[in-house]
Amino acid sequence: MAGSSPSPHKPRRKAKRAGNGTELSQILEGSISPEPQVRSPSFPLAAFLWPARGSVSQWEILPLILMAVGLFRWAAGLWGYSGFQKPPMFGDYEAQRHWMEITTNLPVSQWYFHDLEWWGLDYPPLTAYHSWLCGKIGSLIDPAWFALSTSRGLHDPTLKIFMRGTVVVSEYLIYIPAAVVFVRRFSRLAGVSSWTASVALVAILMQPATILIDHVHFQYNTVMLGFVLATMSSMLAGRYMWSAVYFVAALGFKQMALYYAFPVFAYLLGSCLVPRINFPRLFGISLVTAVSFAILITPLVLGTLSDVKRGIDPRPDLKGSRPPLPLFQGLADYIATDTFYYPVVEQLVQMIHRVFPFARGLFEDKVANFWCALNVVFKLKQYPSELLQRGALLATLATIIPPNLILLFRPRKLLLPLAFATTAWGFFLFSYQVHEKSVLLPLMPMTLLLAGSKGLGKETRAWVGFANILGCWTMFPLLQRVDLRVPYVVLTLLWAYLLGLPPTSLSAYFQEGSSLWSQWTTVLIHGPFYLAMALWHVLELFLRPPPDKPDLWVVANVGIGAVGFAICYLWCLGRLVVESEILPRSWFAKKGKAKKQ
Amino acid sequence: MTQIYPSLAQCAVVAAAFKILLFPAYKSTDFEVHRNWLAITNSLPLWEWYYEKTSEWTLDYPPLFAYFEWILSQVAKLVDPSMLRVYNLGYDSWETVYFQRATVILTELVLVFALQMFIDSSHGASKRAAQAAAISILLSPGLLIIDHIHFQYNGCMYGILIASLVLARKKSTLLLSGLVFAALLCMKHIYLYLAPAYFVFLLRTYCLSPKSIFKIQFLNCVKLGAGIVAIFGTAFGPFALKGQIPQILSRLFPFSRGLCHAYWAPNVWAIYSFVDRFLIALAPRIGLAVKAGALQSVTRGLVGDTSFAVLPDITPRVCFALTLLFQTIPLLKLFFQPTWDNFVGAVTLCGYASFLFGWHVHEKAILLVIIPFSLIALKDRRYFGAFRPLAVAGHVSLFPLLFTPAEFPIKTIYTIFWLVLFLTAFDRLAPASSRPRFFLFDRFSTLYIAVSIPLILYCSLVHGIVFGKSYEFLPLMFTSSYSAIGVVGSWVGFMVVYFAS
Repeated sequence: MAGSSPSPHKPRRKAKRAGNGTELSQILEGSISPEPQVRSPSFPLAAFLWPARGSVSQWEILPLILMAVGLFRWAAGLWGYSGFQKPPMFGDYEAQRHWMEITTNLPVSQWYFHDLEWWGLDYPPLTAYHSWLCGKIGSLIDPAWFALSTSRGLHDPTLKIFMRGTVVVSEYLIYIPAAVVFVRRFSRLAGVSSWTASVALVAILMQPATILIDHVHFQYNTVMLGFVLATMSSMLAGRYMWSAVYFVAALGFKQMALYYAFPVFAYLLGSCLVPRINFPRLFGISLVTAVSFAILITPLVLGTLSDVKRGIDPRPDLKGSRPPLPLFQGLADYIATDTFYYPVVEQLVQMIHRVFPFARGLFEDKVANFWCALNVVFKLKQYPSELLQRGALLATLATIIPPNLILLFRPRKLLLPLAFATTAWGFFLFSYQVHEKSVLLPLMPMTLLLAGSKGLGKETRAWVGFANILGCWTMFPLLQRVDLRVPYVVLTLLWAYLLGLPPTSLSAYFQEGSSLWSQWTTVLIHGPFYLAMALWHVLELFLRPPPDKPDLWVVANVGIGAVGFAICYLWCLGRLVVESEILPRSWFAKKGKAKKQ
Repeated sequence: MTQIYPSLAQCAVVAAAFKILLFPAYKSTDFEVHRNWLAITNSLPLWEWYYEKTSEWTLDYPPLFAYFEWILSQVAKLVDPSMLRVYNLGYDSWETVYFQRATVILTELVLVFALQMFIDSSHGASKRAAQAAAISILLSPGLLIIDHIHFQYNGCMYGILIASLVLARKKSTLLLSGLVFAALLCMKHIYLYLAPAYFVFLLRTYCLSPKSIFKIQFLNCVKLGAGIVAIFGTAFGPFALKGQIPQILSRLFPFSRGLCHAYWAPNVWAIYSFVDRFLIALAPRIGLAVKAGALQSVTRGLVGDTSFAVLPDITPRVCFALTLLFQTIPLLKLFFQPTWDNFVGAVTLCGYASFLFGWHVHEKAILLVIIPFSLIALKDRRYFGAFRPLAVAGHVSLFPLLFTPAEFPIKTIYTIFWLVLFLTAFDRLAPASSRPRFFLFDRFSTLYIAVSIPLILYCSLVHGIVFGKSYEFLPLMFTSSYSAIGVVGSWVGFMVVYFAS
C-alpha cells in the first residue's frame, strides 16, 4: 500500500478540497443530487460498517477490512483445488506448479519449448518470471516440490499451503493496493463519501468470482487484474505513462488483458487528442510503452543469448536440423538461421505462438458466450474455421467499437469502468477462444461501478449484483467438477446477502424514491434469470440429464448465461451512452429510458 | 428505539458463512471423541453408555450431554449410518465431517439467542455497549478455534450459561436462572467451578428475604430445591436406578491425571513449573537440592506426572484449598451486596480462581473467565482495563491448540482482527469510571499487549528457523508463561476493581 501512494498526505488533502468543491458546485447547479441522508443501512454490508461512519478515520478501518477479506480468502483456500487427485493431467494447479518447476530448473531458452504436452508454458514472460520467483522461494522450503520431472502431479499438503500463500501474497502485493487506491480516487472523483467508498471496497474485494477462481480453483488472475486496476487508477490520477507501464505488465502477465487493450488505447489516445492535440504526451506514452515491452522481454532475450553462448540448445530433445519457425515463416527469408540474433527471434516467435494459440477451436469446453450458445441451436463445426474466425472477428469488432469510440471522443475518467466493462463483455461474448473463467474480466470493471456515484444505490447494485451472480453461476459446472459446491454456495450467497441481492433479499429492487416503472422493468429482466438459476440448481441436483443428452444442464447453463451477459453488455453500453452525454440532449431522455430496461 | 447496527443476526450469518468455509480445516481428536459418543448413544442401551470402552475416548460428560448426543445421532442416522458404529474408530467420511461441523454451527444458535436476550435486557445508554459485547462473544476467537476448528460444542453450552446469567437479572426469572444452570451442570460438569457464585447469589436473593438474611423464604427454597432435584433426577435418575452413579462419577472426575495438562494452561502452576525449570539451572549454585527422579522425567507436566525438581510438589488437596479460598473472597462481597453486576463479577472471579489454581486445568477453560467477563467488561473503563490483558492472554494461550500450518493464518489473523476491532470499539464505548483509574495498571496492560507481537513471532517463526524440531517445549512454555502473567495480572486487577466498586 505504502508503495503505491508514496506521499499519502498532501495530495490527498488537495484532492479532497477540489473534489468537495466540484461536488458542491455540481449540487448547486443541480446536475447531481447530494447523497440522501440515510437513517438506517439499506443492506447488510452497510450495516457492518455502520459504526464506522463519520468519526472513524477510513485508514483505521482499512486494516480491518484487509484482514477480514484475507480470512475469507484463506478459509476458502482450505478447500480442494482444480485437478486435486485427478490424474492423468490434473489441472490449473499442476500447470502453475509445473511452471515453477521448469522455470527454476531449466535454462531460460528452454522455457517455452520444454515438453509442451505436459502443461507447456503458454503465458507471457511476466508469468514465467513470477513462477521463477515463487519456485525459488518454494525450493528453499522443500526442494522436492519443484524437482524437475519427479514432482509432476505432486499433492503434498504443505505444497498446497505454499501455493495458496503465493496467490494470497501476490494478490496483496498487486490487486489489493491497486483496488484500494482506485476506489479512493474514483469515489472522490464521483463525489462519494469516504465511508461509502469503504463499503464499496469491501464489496469489490469480496467479489465471489475472483475468490472462487483464484483462491479455490487456483490461478493468479488477480495479478493481471491488479495491474489493470493500477492502469485505470493511474489514468484517474492523470499519470498516463504509468498507466502504460502497468498495462504492459498486465499484458505481460496474462494475454487475456487484451480484452482491455482497446479502451486503454482509446482513452490514452483520446486524452492526447481531446480537448486539444497534445503531441508530447502521445510521444511520451508511445515511448514508455515500447520501453516497457523491451524491459518485459529483456530477461528472456538475455537468457537466450547467454544460453547460445554456453551452447545450450532450446530443444535438446530434437535431433537433426533446426525446425522452421512456428509462425511468421516469411521471416526466414530475411533472417539467416546462423545470425547471432536468430535464436532470439525464434524464442520470441515461439513465445507468441504459445501465448496465442490460433490453431485452437472457436470456443473451449462450454462457455456462456454467443458462439457456444449458438452452437446449441445450430452446429457451427460444419463451417470452415477460417469463416468462423472471420465471423468472430467481425462480431467482436461490432460490439467493441461503439464503447471505444465514445471513450475516444469523451475521454472522461468517470467513464473508464463502464468502457472497460462494455468492451470486455463484447470480447467475452463474441471473440474467439473464450474460457469460462474469462468472465472475470468484464466482471472486474463492472463491479468497480459500486464505488462510483450512486454506486451503492438500488439500480447499480442490482445490475452489478446480477452480473456477478450470473457470472459465478456460469462457472458452477467448472467448480462442481472438482467438488467445490460448498465454497461456491457459501461465497456467492454471502456476497448476495451482504449486498442485499436475490436470492437473499429483494431490497435492491423495491425501495422508495424511484419510479415504479424503472423498478419493475429491472425486476422483469432480472427476475426470470434468478428463477432460472434457482430452478437449474434444483434440477441439476436432483435429476440426471437424459442419457442421449448428457450435457443438458451445462448447455442450459450456457444458453441462459449468454443471454444474461448480452443484457449486461447492453446495460453497460446504454449507461456509457447516457453518462458520456454523447448524444444530443433532446434525444437523451428518450434514449436513456430505452436503455434502462 | 432506533436499532443498533450491525445486528447480532447479521453477524451470525456472516460468521456462519466463515465457519462453513472452515469445514475442511484441521480437527483434533475431540472430533473422534464426539463421533464415538454419537455411536455409543445411538447403538447401545442406556445402561452401557458409561461402561463402553472400545474407543479410548469413553463417554465422560454428564448424562444430559449424552442425551443431547443421542438426539443428534437420530439425525446422523439419516446422513451416514456408518459413523454410528462403535467399532468404526477414526471414521471421518465427508458426510460425517459435514454433519458434525454443521451441528456445531446450528447448536450455536442457542448462543445467538442468549446473547439477544442479553442485549434486550440492557437499557438506555448501555444497550450499545451490550450489543458490542454480545457481538464480541459471538465472534470470539476462542469459540472459533475451539469449536469450529478444534471441535467441541462450547458455543451451545456457553449460550445456556449466558441465558442463565441474563435470567438472573430480573427478580421474576431468578428461579428459572437457577434451573437452567442446573441443567447446564448436567451437560458439562466443568461449570461446577461457577456453582459457588450461583449458590451464594440464589441463596441471598431467592431463598433469603431481601430485607434480612435471617428470614428464610420457604416457598422459594422448596421451588428451587424441587426443580433442581427434578433436573438432576431426569439426568442421573435412570442411571441411579441401576446403581451406576459411582461408575459415572469415576468417568466424570478422573483424579488420576496430572497437575498440568499436556499443554500448560496459563495458570499459576504454569508459572510454578517455569520457575522450577529455571531453578534446576540455578539450584546447584545456591545450594538447593534437586530431586534426581524429576529431572529424568521427559513427560513433565503430562498426564499422571507432576514431579517438580526443586519446588515442593503440589497435591490435589492444595489446589482445591487454594481454589476454594480465592472463590470465597469475592463471594463474601456478593453475599452482602447481591446485585447482578456483582453476581457476574463473582462468576467471573470463580472462573478465575478455578482456572488459576485448579488441578489438571485445560487451556480451553479460559472461556469460563472470558465469556462472563465480557458481559460486564464495558461497565466502565476500569473493568475494561482489567479485561484487556485477559483478552490478549486468553486467546494467545489457545494458539498451541492448532499447530498445523494451514490454520496458522486463520488463528493469528482472526485473533488479531478480533482484538483490534473489539479493543478499539470497547475503548470508545466504555464510559469513564467515577473513581480514578490505576495509572500503573493501564501502563502494564499496554506494555503487556505490545510484548505479544514478538512472542507470537518467535513461537511461530523464529523458533522453527533457529532450533528446528528441537526444544519444542520452549515456545509452549513461553506462550503459557506469558499468558499466565496476563491472566494473573488481569485477575489481580479485576479483584481490585471488584472490591473497589
